[in-house]
Amino acid sequence: MENMDPATQVTLVTIIVAGMGITIGTAVPAIAEGLAAFKALDGIARQPDAAQDLRTTLLIAMALLESTAIYVLLVILILLFANPLINRFF
Amino acid sequence: MENIAPQVVFTLFNIPVRDTVVSTWVVMGLITLIAILIGRRQPVMLEILVDFLTDLISDLMGRPAGPYLPLLGALAIFIAVANIIGIVPFLRSPTSDINTTLALALVVFLSVHFFGIRIKGFSGYLRDLASPIFLLPLELIGQLSRTLSLTLRLFGNTLSAMLIVAIIFSLAPLFVPLPLIAFGIFTGILQAYIFTALAAVYIASGLEVIEPNKEEAKEKRKE
Repeated sequence: MENMDPATQVTLVTIIVAGMGITIGTAVPAIAEGLAAFKALDGIARQPDAAQDLRTTLLIAMALLESTAIYVLLVILILLFANPLINRFF
Repeated sequence: MENIAPQVVFTLFNIPVRDTVVSTWVVMGLITLIAILIGRRQPVMLEILVDFLTDLISDLMGRPAGPYLPLLGALAIFIAVANIIGIVPFLRSPTSDINTTLALALVVFLSVHFFGIRIKGFSGYLRDLASPIFLLPLELIGQLSRTLSLTLRLFGNTLSAMLIVAIIFSLAPLFVPLPLIAFGIFTGILQAYIFTALAAVYIASGLEVIEPNKEEAKEKRKE
């Protein structure tokens, strides 16, 4: 690790962080979305009349939950394609 | 970044015009053309679309959709067509450029205040925005952050759909990416629905009249 030049070190760390970040950053929102869908389906099964309202609310809640995963994706894309840290060491 | 950022096609009066702007013009022309053609031949189809959008918006806002239909319906149709246009070769979906989505989100941000002030008046709108007064900073942060989240959600979804198809295409061309392209069309239409729904919810939240004393208001309604 010590005999690499700094740009290679930054790239290496970036790749590791990108892999870990996208895994954790999509797993947690996926669990949250699963919980939301679970509760909504539970509600529809108990009370089929409320299906229309629940569907609309569920879609909006899903969109809000989904956006956290999208933030992670954007950060990872910036790290991979436009890393601001690499040029600092040249 | 050179590969996924929009490319400059030509410069007009020293302003660089990128390929997403060109495809925005294509989308605008296409929507106008189809609307005129269908309006001449089969006006019933346009009525079905307008009825669908009216029902959707009035359900989401809990009030008649009349004054909000032009804005929200145009948003829905434009975003749906703009997301789908990416499957045409040599055209890049306009929503995969963060400038387009930021512009759309800013339109929503300004129209929340516009409709709120039009319904409640300037002072009434400000009073509801700052009620109670110590929640005003939170309210302002909420307004800005939901504009940012509208921007990034649409941008991230479109860009990730595009990138996944490009990566799979470079690994196994021609037939393997087809299901992913179909999934991209599905998420594109879903994102158009979600953007419209969130814009409707935000505008409706700007129109809500906050009553200072809820019990009193309830009793008044009972009488």
